[in-house]
Amino acid sequence: MLLDVAVSPDRAIDVEQIRADFPILERRVHEHPLVYLDNAASSQKPRQVLDAMDRYYRTTNANVHRGVHTLSEDATALYEAARARVSEFVGACCPKEIIWTRNATEAINLVAYSWGRANLGRGDRILLTEMEHHANLVPWQILAAEKEVELDFVPVADDGTLKLDRLPKLLTPRTRLFAFTAASNVVGTLNPVREMAAAAHKAGALALVDGAQSVPHMPVNVQELDIDFMAFSGHKMLGPTGIGVLWGRRELLNAMPPFMGGGDMIREVHLRESRWNELPWKFEAGTPAIAEAIGLGAAVSYLAGIGMEAVQAHGRQVVDYAMARLSEVKGLRILGATTNPRGALVAFTLGEIHPHDIAGALDSLGIAVRAGHHCAQPLHQRFGIPASTRASFYIYNNEAEVDLLVAGLQKVIEFFSS
Amino acid sequence: MDRQAQIDLILDHYENPRHRGPLADASAVETGTNPGCGDVVTIYLKAGREGSIADISFDGNGCTISQAGASIVAEMFAGKTLGDVEATGPDAILGLIGPDIAAARQKCALLGLNTAQVAARRLYTVHFPMLG
Repeated sequence: MLLDVAVSPDRAIDVEQIRADFPILERRVHEHPLVYLDNAASSQKPRQVLDAMDRYYRTTNANVHRGVHTLSEDATALYEAARARVSEFVGACCPKEIIWTRNATEAINLVAYSWGRANLGRGDRILLTEMEHHANLVPWQILAAEKEVELDFVPVADDGTLKLDRLPKLLTPRTRLFAFTAASNVVGTLNPVREMAAAAHKAGALALVDGAQSVPHMPVNVQELDIDFMAFSGHKMLGPTGIGVLWGRRELLNAMPPFMGGGDMIREVHLRESRWNELPWKFEAGTPAIAEAIGLGAAVSYLAGIGMEAVQAHGRQVVDYAMARLSEVKGLRILGATTNPRGALVAFTLGEIHPHDIAGALDSLGIAVRAGHHCAQPLHQRFGIPASTRASFYIYNNEAEVDLLVAGLQKVIEFFSS
Repeated sequence: MDRQAQIDLILDHYENPRHRGPLADASAVETGTNPGCGDVVTIYLKAGREGSIADISFDGNGCTISQAGASIVAEMFAGKTLGDVEATGPDAILGLIGPDIAAARQKCALLGLNTAQVAARRLYTVHFPMLG
């Protein structure tokens, strides 16, 4: 599929040119231009992604994998080409290591149900962290209750970084899995994935990475990182909702029992053994989200056309500017480290003003931020607050929008101090 | 009520809350929360004779709409009956606060009412056990 983003990889992003690719940015909200700063929750879609999905439905729609007719063959080709593109994008050895799921949450649940249930037993331990998104906490809580497994947590320091000096103690001989986020969706911390995975392996544990906030924003190579599983979501990286990815090392995936049963995941049945279908289809029961996978393939092409180094550089530039400007706002406290490098998001509190009121007021100015616990209640409990306000940036955000955010916050302060 | 009047009402209740503060001799104390955003409302009810409300107050912490909603509720039910509390639907609050203000924040707006209803229900069954 041809890439029609006219930017050569890894040159600096031309934000205006990119913005032209996103139809939704034309929207007005409460009579103001939309300023969309909620990308950590979900990203907008370029017309290239929308066109790819629309074109699929208009010209090539058919069920995949079993048809002999042209539409089915063509649909299968598009669908598997998308998988191959994603495989390349994350540095996997091969497309068979890319399992389509509904989202990162389902990907993590797949590992918990399939790998966890088959391999863990009473007394085994799983190491997590205090900064995890609920998607990388709750599935393990469910598994732990079922299998009498213990959960341990790497604590978070006041600056939002993990207390990694505790790792030698926390990675016990009974620890079977270390599951952690590559990038926090609240405090912006970027974790040293390779080092943490190495520590896990040294202790005989596998490493699972929640890549939901890293894969969309920076170059990620699973082989270089030497990790075992990674989960990420299509809708956070310009793709549609309803599609996500579990990457896993093929030796591990081959050894795991299936997740869901149904059509497409059985290959053959013998007298003494049944064979599940080979990878990746062993983990993909039923008719898949074909259009969505094709959409994610187009999103990956779009991002690859820009270059993930450029995407990351842009994110750093915008968040640096945001942190500088936000530090001028009286009473504003940023959660997490205020030094780079940081993920392209900022969560903050603003005096006693409730995040809902901040977000509501900003919304009336057309500015979309998120208020609440951002699916990280334990992390908020750690910082002693029930909720925060979060602005998160992506390739189509610019410094002018940060200025509007800051101006909006000044208005909020005025309003509540009168 | 136009939008500005609705905003003014919310701010008025937020800045000058009615019936705020714990009731020392409450018959029922009920706390409701929106854990997702940290709104907390505690309703104190003192039952009088035959299901009447002798006194009502609230306390809490959270966004303007949740606290204003609780103040509105306390003002609304002072001198009324437990039955009145139970019979009040969400529209009574949402109508005051305004549909577009409340649209995104219904849980905040209704926290006070919902908490008051749980408290009233509890008292109701205590005072009229054969109906509970």
